[in-house]
Amino acid sequence: MDAFLAAVRLVFDPYVLWVITASAAFGMFVGAMPGLTATMATALLVPVTFFMEPVPALGAIVAATAMAIFAGDIPAALLRIPGTPASAAYTDESYAMSKKGQLDLNLGVNLVFSVMGGLIGVAILILCAPALAEVAINFSSFEYFWLALLGLTCAVFMTTDMPLKGVTSLLLGLAINCIGIDPAAGYPRFTFGGVELLQGISFIPAMIGMFALSELLRGMVSIDARGAMIAQQIGNIFTGVFDVFKRYWFNFLRGSTIGVLIGALPGAGADIAAWISFAVSKRFSKQPEKFGTGHVEGIVDATSANNSAVGAAWIPALVFGIPGDSITAIVIGVLYMKGMNPGPTVFLQNPQFIYAVFIIFILANLLMLPLGWAAIKGGKQLLRVPRNILLPVILIFCVVGSYAMTNSAYGIIIMLVMGLIGWLMEQHGFPIAPAILGLVLGEMLEQNFMTSMIKADGAFIMFFERPIAAALGVTTLLIWSAMLWRSVKGKPTSLSGVAPVP
Amino acid sequence: MRANDAIAGLVLIVLSAVMIALTASFPEFPGQKYGPSLFPRILGAGLIVCGAVLMWNGLASRRAGAPWVEIAPWARQPRSLTSFLLVIALLLLYIFVAETVGFIPMALLFLGTLFLWLGVRPWIAAVTAFAGTLLIYWFFASLLRVPLPRGWLNSIL
Amino acid sequence: MPKITRRDFAALAAAAATGQALGLKPSFAQEAYPTRPIQMICPWGAGGGTDATARIVGVLLEKELGQPVNVVNRVGGSGVVGHSAIATAAPDGYTLGIITVEIAMMHWAGLTQLTSKDFTPLALMNEDPPGIQVKADSPYKTVKDLADAIKSSAPGKFKASGTGQGGIWHLALVGWLQAMGLPPNQVAWVPSNGAAPAMQDLAAGGIDFTTCSIPEARAMIDAGKARSLAIMAPARAKTFPDVPTLKEAMGIDYKTGAWRGFAGPKGLPQPIAAKLTASLKKIYDSKEYNDFMSSRGFGVVWNDAAGYAAFMDNADKQMGDAMKAAGIAKT
Repeated sequence: MDAFLAAVRLVFDPYVLWVITASAAFGMFVGAMPGLTATMATALLVPVTFFMEPVPALGAIVAATAMAIFAGDIPAALLRIPGTPASAAYTDESYAMSKKGQLDLNLGVNLVFSVMGGLIGVAILILCAPALAEVAINFSSFEYFWLALLGLTCAVFMTTDMPLKGVTSLLLGLAINCIGIDPAAGYPRFTFGGVELLQGISFIPAMIGMFALSELLRGMVSIDARGAMIAQQIGNIFTGVFDVFKRYWFNFLRGSTIGVLIGALPGAGADIAAWISFAVSKRFSKQPEKFGTGHVEGIVDATSANNSAVGAAWIPALVFGIPGDSITAIVIGVLYMKGMNPGPTVFLQNPQFIYAVFIIFILANLLMLPLGWAAIKGGKQLLRVPRNILLPVILIFCVVGSYAMTNSAYGIIIMLVMGLIGWLMEQHGFPIAPAILGLVLGEMLEQNFMTSMIKADGAFIMFFERPIAAALGVTTLLIWSAMLWRSVKGKPTSLSGVAPVP
Repeated sequence: MRANDAIAGLVLIVLSAVMIALTASFPEFPGQKYGPSLFPRILGAGLIVCGAVLMWNGLASRRAGAPWVEIAPWARQPRSLTSFLLVIALLLLYIFVAETVGFIPMALLFLGTLFLWLGVRPWIAAVTAFAGTLLIYWFFASLLRVPLPRGWLNSIL
Repeated sequence: MPKITRRDFAALAAAAATGQALGLKPSFAQEAYPTRPIQMICPWGAGGGTDATARIVGVLLEKELGQPVNVVNRVGGSGVVGHSAIATAAPDGYTLGIITVEIAMMHWAGLTQLTSKDFTPLALMNEDPPGIQVKADSPYKTVKDLADAIKSSAPGKFKASGTGQGGIWHLALVGWLQAMGLPPNQVAWVPSNGAAPAMQDLAAGGIDFTTCSIPEARAMIDAGKARSLAIMAPARAKTFPDVPTLKEAMGIDYKTGAWRGFAGPKGLPQPIAAKLTASLKKIYDSKEYNDFMSSRGFGVVWNDAAGYAAFMDNADKQMGDAMKAAGIAKT
């Protein structure tokens, strides 16, 4: 209790509160900028935190990342550009909802459910950090392989009416991901001797290209057409959010739970949490046919999930010093720097700092409400700008954002090429989201597959020998068989299209 | 432009075949029967199957009367087509010369050209291009320390 | 032979330093430099140890030089992308970089033509030796137990990890096995995406031991999930005094390590290079740098420009031999 009071005193210091507010505003900006991720916001804060006491240093990072993950939803809803990868899973849905004229409700739902999801993540972090981490630490490459495959299965769930084109898009994403140094042997694949291609197809410029550039190209050719613009009233974003909550409270709880579980896994963070919860939402929805038309249900699940993952990712970081995602990887460095070596002992040696982190997490999530509201108000002014001014400005933002990811023109090349591929795919009715997921998860899938194969000396049965791996594996295979069965019954022609079960 | 699924399928099959052919030169893990070629080959095989089914579907719809290639209405209007090509050309120009010329002149050119092409009044175009460029440069280069190319203005900035 | 070279270089460097100290009028370039922000290229991603080192040195260098030093991550291709970016930049002192042990390895692997000769070395500032870690409840209590078990088992039965195929910790394993007179494939290498997943896999029981550096293994060791049996260094680490060296534990005199140093493109003007090396030396002696490095458990070493060049030549040979032995060298 003394430690808790000490923590309260540490946090409610004017300087600390100022740092938290300033970093929150910074995180909000960075998250809303396409190409600048929450990870980058953290990396940029690190040099600043060198010169701070532990509590404001951690407070700055907590506040900035929590904001950035939410802020990524804003450009997704307004412009179909996910501000951070964590918003990519439901960018299409969110943008479709805005186009339907529900921009206010969309943004309100994103904000409110992000805040609540974030709070659930913190609550779990506080209540059962050690227990959850104990489970997560027992995952080896076999479990991760099945987890990645399960994640990819989600992509097929998400494709609306054309499983064949969804699978094709997914395989295409995975194949593009093969470019560069292979994750197991370190051999350069499909690089044709070039240095730049060695780094592979960076995922964020690819995402900016496939989502945003292809949308901009469509916008450019239809700029003279009347009514193409999202004509929106600027009203109260909180209207109707409570009704959504009454209707979809279960989705909120489910999304947050999935977010916490995925976030607590080392190596899987907010982005994967959003993909999986969105797919689960669609799978178990009473109205799956509404998905893809701007339906709020999946957004509730996914926006809660990615924010709850932010808090949960701190669980393995604090308890074992193992990063839950790339943000907490940086956090661990900062913890060491401040003499708070992460591990079970940190709870004994410096409990006041840990409580302080918890309090800051709660504060940051509460602060998200007014700051998010302000950011949305600011962002919505964008839509008043005439399209012929808005489009070129967004285009230059995409260029700078892609450049920022690789710090070279290579990022812009990726954006252009992937943008054209994405545009062509959409023209031919191939969904984009599975290709993006293939790019996100491809390396994790291949790395863990190869690692497991080496460990098992090629004996595939080893993939089922560990209990958790077996459970995940059987689940994955069951889902694939169920889908195969349905497509046999439903549409005989696409039978072989869903066959590549390993 | 929208090609028949049969053409899309054929393109996929050809690309996958090329990909699989390229994996032939990949080495294997020391002491194992597989290597970096395994994963691309599995994917290539999957894509070929998908491509084949697409071709089958596409040929079926062709028999039902669908054309080989549909030209979208916008591509027949010279103005829309130029807009499309202009964006690509400007991006290519940026990629190739930004490193020497620098971000600020390139962004001014980029924004100015597009504004004028899209019919923004010249003085608004000039002011917006200028303000936008400087704002982006300040935010990304100064605040976020993204190394945007300095180019010709190297000595001034 | 290497000894003579090193001494020669040291003498040269000393002469250069004295000349500089005596010279009353510094040259124009030296006086003016730097007049604008400096880019510090880091070939590895944000959040890692190299990034952290680059950033702390960047912050301190900024104070020394009075111009912003921006750390720019150029990631990918097992470090090739970032190292190429440093080597091909204009040698004007406004693009520097942190170069790592991989520069002595990637040309052997056939990934690039680039070698340490393509840089102007400034200073070596960090080196971390590999440790040998096992799971906390492993039956092997000492490194000798483990070594005996490896010797008497079938080739490939033991699985080790720590980094990718042909990475520095893989070579450390190969070197250790060779020092024991065993073939390089006596232990199968399980490639991993860095040390953290390897340590996680160790704790989860997926592999038998890891050969990553102790700072990388530290979280798991502190959490009571893993134990370090020995380090492959000439002396015990200050931060981990309980872990014996290989020589103490089993009489084998094998040492290697991952290192990080600072460099510019080849052909950096001598006054600029000298000024940078002097600034880096001040940073190396500073409290901030030492506090930071010891808080992360990173080892600190100092080699000036000439010493660093000789050090890299030596490392290049050592890595080449290990990679040829492991059958992963292409050239």
